[in-house]
Amino acid sequence: MPSAEPAPAAPPLLQVNGLTIRFGEHTAVDGISFRLGKGETLAVVGESGSGKSVSALALTRLLPPPPACRLGGEILLGDRDILKLDEPALHRIRGKEIAYIFQEPSSSLNPLFTIGAQIAEAIRLHRPDVKNPVAEILRVLDLVGIRDPEKRHRDYPHQLSGGMQQRVMIAMALVCQPKILVADEPTTALDVTIQAQIIDLLRDLKQKLGMSVLMITHNFGIVHGFADRVIVMFRGKIVEEGPTEVILRQPQHPYTKALISCIPRLGQRQERLVTIDYSTLVP
Amino acid sequence: MFSEITRQQFRRFRSIRRAWISFWILVGAYVLSLFSEHLANDRPLVMRYNGGTYFPTVKFYSAETFGGRYRTEADYLALEQSPEFLAKGGWMLFPIIKSDPLRNYLKEEGSPPHAPSARHWLGTDDSARDVAARLLYGFRLSMSFALTLAILGAVVGVIVGGLQGYAGGWFDLAGQRIIEIWSALPFLYVVILIGSIYGQTFGVLLFVFLLFEWIGLSYYMRGEFYRLKNQTFTQAAQALGAGKFRILYRHILPNAMVPVITLFPFMLIGGISSLTALDFLGFGLPPPTPSWGEMLQQGLKYLYAPWLAFSSVLALFTTLLLASFVGEGARAAFDPRSSNAIR
Repeated sequence: MPSAEPAPAAPPLLQVNGLTIRFGEHTAVDGISFRLGKGETLAVVGESGSGKSVSALALTRLLPPPPACRLGGEILLGDRDILKLDEPALHRIRGKEIAYIFQEPSSSLNPLFTIGAQIAEAIRLHRPDVKNPVAEILRVLDLVGIRDPEKRHRDYPHQLSGGMQQRVMIAMALVCQPKILVADEPTTALDVTIQAQIIDLLRDLKQKLGMSVLMITHNFGIVHGFADRVIVMFRGKIVEEGPTEVILRQPQHPYTKALISCIPRLGQRQERLVTIDYSTLVP
Repeated sequence: MFSEITRQQFRRFRSIRRAWISFWILVGAYVLSLFSEHLANDRPLVMRYNGGTYFPTVKFYSAETFGGRYRTEADYLALEQSPEFLAKGGWMLFPIIKSDPLRNYLKEEGSPPHAPSARHWLGTDDSARDVAARLLYGFRLSMSFALTLAILGAVVGVIVGGLQGYAGGWFDLAGQRIIEIWSALPFLYVVILIGSIYGQTFGVLLFVFLLFEWIGLSYYMRGEFYRLKNQTFTQAAQALGAGKFRILYRHILPNAMVPVITLFPFMLIGGISSLTALDFLGFGLPPPTPSWGEMLQQGLKYLYAPWLAFSSVLALFTTLLLASFVGEGARAAFDPRSSNAIR
């Protein structure tokens, strides 16, 4: 496995060693290793079924319990191996140290509660010391760029647009001040202008709060200018890894090349969309 | 307390006029029937005697109080007519229906069942008991029974179905098979057996009905919990570090309440009609309990006294129809899948 940069001196925030995920007979992820430093942004790129989303869920063991799904390897968060922790310890890590935002904002919010109540739930779970939850809710809603939070926090999810809902999801993730934010295709369900807004927001927040971000995407277009490093996954394995600029300029693996060539470019006349020829990739 | 969506559903329910009106008629009738003692009774509501004021529907007075010889309860109907009572400034105000549901009014002319008259509006049955009073008390009994049954059945159904759907796996599979075997038990035999051992009381009958009442709802709840536990927002709550219990009662349960609301009126209908059927067959509450099933049975027995069959069938029909309207409206208002064509 090629590694483009020297190992950092400080121990990384998150270190994944030989992570394997099996669903019954099928191996979804086959011994991947990567690390995430403090304040770093790592993008995991790959197509559907490449194992990127289950890898992200495995970070806090959000997968079905053993008979259905078996995990191997180790996931080190600081000096704790997440695969060896018990349920209560996992509950304390989820949301508090590793927070998630998902692909589909409209179904990620409980339709029966106001967005304020749902952010309050996150506060109640992980920050019981907060004396004035409403002030905290208003603060995070303002942080993620929701105008008029005093009025908006009483809204129900269906009263918000998709982009607003995703901002609320980000607010829910941020209110517990996590060390790592896992964004699992956060813009896939949104239209292109909103995508750009959400990516800008994430970039902005990452710098403001100094947290690490693990961005899962199939779209190389949003990796540029956002991620420090990129991992390319194909069929459950990491096929290429390196700094974003290097990967985008000089991709080594044929799959990476193929993925990059799939990005439609402005001003380029193209008769047909580029597709990936799998016959050359699969041994 | 209620979310915007729930409020919207309530508004929609209210806009379905037939259901809304039926709902309030049923609620009103049931609340009224809770005061049956003051609506149908052969004791006066208020009476004056010898300068004192008495409330016989609320309090017991012996015959001695009003110049009689015995310490048993005063016979107010006889007292009303007696010259001594009237001489001492006696005066009585009776409830609307001037009859007790359990009393035999054998002093009427002819032989029972008596035809409707000014004294007994809907006539009397074969033991000369007032039909109107018995209908009223029977309504209270049926509704109380069906309501208790439906509420308890809903609680059990939600718990059993919810656990099955949430746990899944072998627990769900085993539960499903057990329920299938359980629901195949012949209900009538169970009622007859348990009734003959422990007596056919309200509590025993309620228990036996409850053994089977929850099954229908548990299927729906199993499906709902199964669906909801895989929704993104439950997974998002999990990713937020919420525990199992919290996800169950805050994220899944409130979202799974629609089948409970839409099925409840139909569970009520089921409760009323099965109790009536059981009483009709003679395996229900023992005589002289004022029950609709027993009255229907008399109606069939004395076809020459049509007021018996007519009044009990009409009462049963009206109640079930109103409850059906409520159920139909609730389903239209709360179930997003059904059309809102019913107005």
